[in-house]
Amino acid sequence: MRIVIDLLKTRYVPIFLAVGLLALTATLAGRTSAQAPIKEVLIGEVLPLTGNFATLGQQYLWSGQTVEDIVNNDYPDLSVPLGPGKGFPAFGGAPLKLVIRDDQSRGDLARTLVEQLITVNKVHWINGEGTSGNTSIIQPVAESYGIPLSCSPCASPTLTEKGFKWFWRTGPNDRTMVASVFDFLKDWPKNGGPGDLKTVAIFTCDNLFCQDNFKIAQDLAPKAGFKLVSELTTKTGATTLASEVQRLQAANPDILFFVQYPAETAVFQADAKRAGFMPKVIATSNGAYSDQTWLEAQKKTNGGAGWLGRDPTAIDLASKKPSWKKVNEIYRKYSRGQDMGELAMREITGMLWVADTINRAKSVEPAALAKAAAETNTSPDQMIIDYKGIRFDKSNQNVLASGVVTQIGWNGEKHTIWPWALAKEAGYKAIYPSPSWADRDSQPKPSR
Amino acid sequence: MTELLQAVVNGLQMGALYALVAVGLAIIWGLMEMVNFAHGEFMMLGMFGAWWLSSTLGLDPLIAMVPIALVMYGLGVVVYTQLMRRVQRGDVFAQIFATVGLLLFLQNTVVAGFTSDYRFVSDTVLARLSGVNIDLFGIRLGLPLLIAGLIGLALFILLYLLIDRTEIGLSLQATSEDREAAMLVGIHPRRMFAMAWGLGAALVAVAGVILANFFSVYPQVGLQFTVLAYAIVALGGFGSILGTLIAALLVGVVQSVTVVYLAPAFKDAFVFGSYLLIGLARPQGLFGRF
Repeated sequence: MRIVIDLLKTRYVPIFLAVGLLALTATLAGRTSAQAPIKEVLIGEVLPLTGNFATLGQQYLWSGQTVEDIVNNDYPDLSVPLGPGKGFPAFGGAPLKLVIRDDQSRGDLARTLVEQLITVNKVHWINGEGTSGNTSIIQPVAESYGIPLSCSPCASPTLTEKGFKWFWRTGPNDRTMVASVFDFLKDWPKNGGPGDLKTVAIFTCDNLFCQDNFKIAQDLAPKAGFKLVSELTTKTGATTLASEVQRLQAANPDILFFVQYPAETAVFQADAKRAGFMPKVIATSNGAYSDQTWLEAQKKTNGGAGWLGRDPTAIDLASKKPSWKKVNEIYRKYSRGQDMGELAMREITGMLWVADTINRAKSVEPAALAKAAAETNTSPDQMIIDYKGIRFDKSNQNVLASGVVTQIGWNGEKHTIWPWALAKEAGYKAIYPSPSWADRDSQPKPSR
Repeated sequence: MTELLQAVVNGLQMGALYALVAVGLAIIWGLMEMVNFAHGEFMMLGMFGAWWLSSTLGLDPLIAMVPIALVMYGLGVVVYTQLMRRVQRGDVFAQIFATVGLLLFLQNTVVAGFTSDYRFVSDTVLARLSGVNIDLFGIRLGLPLLIAGLIGLALFILLYLLIDRTEIGLSLQATSEDREAAMLVGIHPRRMFAMAWGLGAALVAVAGVILANFFSVYPQVGLQFTVLAYAIVALGGFGSILGTLIAALLVGVVQSVTVVYLAPAFKDAFVFGSYLLIGLARPQGLFGRF
């Protein structure tokens, strides 16, 4: 006590007073600015625009630009949130402005950029980072500042299992989607599929996304009645996978559960072809299977024909919706003519939900945004993706996000093969067994 | 036993390609003692060149490698004269920063021009041969990789002869060993350095053109090969072209054999472990002169 009294008598008093005054001014200024009319709604986007995940980052960038276009321009017939009318009705038509930063696919940089976006740019919402690993790094930053953060294409279940208050995900997680694959494989014999699939090999890369998939598959495969015969994890950036293929060939699995990025998938395909390795089924989860450029390349070689994988949407059915066609038209303006893939559909759905939430909150105050997010109840007819809707559980995971299983056909396009009702609607007969490399070479190529 | 032999053969085939990637660095770093962290980016430019010429003019990479090598030789010379010459006499850190800057510049320029999408060169002679194999006593040799490896070896031998048996090669070696003495006998060191950078860039770009038949083409593809190339040059020994070849084959075999018996995560650990072991016994590398 004595020390405190002595301190107050010294020259520190003016300093304490000055600091206190500054803090008070800053608080009042913050309140004043929050109460001032909103001239533009700022969404900070931290994306991997360069570096290892740049191909994903670009699709997210184009998706963000598409959403900015939809919100800021009038599309009277577009049945998505904020499609008709210009800007945010709740803020007198104030436009949406994206503040985009490139983290070079580096988590440490993403963290710094998020701090800058919150403290310097004063954004109202953060969207990103697009990859589960780097998103897990920026989550604590958003949490400590109490700013809403969303990442809809991020599929790692752990992101919504850590008890974070300020993180939301409209897309399905890996558990939901990988479960779809094993549900399909388990029920396939009862629905006209083969009855001789008994063994599974798991082959994945080593980052958070791949390892999540690895663990889920390791858990679900035996539960679905399959015997695990090989489990291999490789480093991302592999220059050769010949020996890994050799080991898989020796294990001779009926099903290969494969999770790799496009570059490694191309290396695997070349090595598997050289070794003549082709299991009866190749089942994938995201990675190359979600990458539009990889999918397009398969049309020249038939390399992807018969591969099946989980998807968040039945793209062959969703693409028939008028709203999908219109949004795709807008997307193509930014993507140099590339069509929306399912990854872009997840991101656009997520960002339109963010815009809708901000509009419903009628405020950019974090507490109001959190309340509006919790009250979300979006119906499926407002979406370009075929989720059953958007409604969050206590962990801020959309419980209505669903998964489907698709297969790449001989035409190079994805076709829905599960759930059975959607498969019936799609009217596609699944390819089985996975064609040999010789068959792939001899069949006509869709893009030649 | 067949399993092991197959792994060794796979490793040798990949090793031949690694050798081609590393040899450009062996000239710039191993022989001329200049650091180049943008080495993989020269390879990436070669890959993009192959993809671009294939998709726009329908030129097969095996033909495209000639114009690409010439253009990249020119680029290597420009990089030396406009950038590296200025930092050459400074601290080694200046070279590191300059080439890391060059790496970022080249990579991001390609991102800006072509986006980061993965591209695939599929309609080529080697791609059409994919799936054609030669079976020798139960060992399977992929014909495209075998052809690529042989092209790599042929280029390697030509380079070895150029460096060890021609006047130009001897001038390069003389410049690297004693710049002042080389000047006294009428060699222009700057010209030699420019030539080394040109050769290094052209060779790794040719490696890129060949690799484009087997790997996807994207702006960040270079880095994984740059790291391996540094290990290979150091393992083979500074100044030794033949050492680079043997080290590359060794790295390919170590990578391949390790994965047959251990978890794939150990693959690179064993490569760098071998480098450390050999480095402890012979700090100058397997066949190093210095």
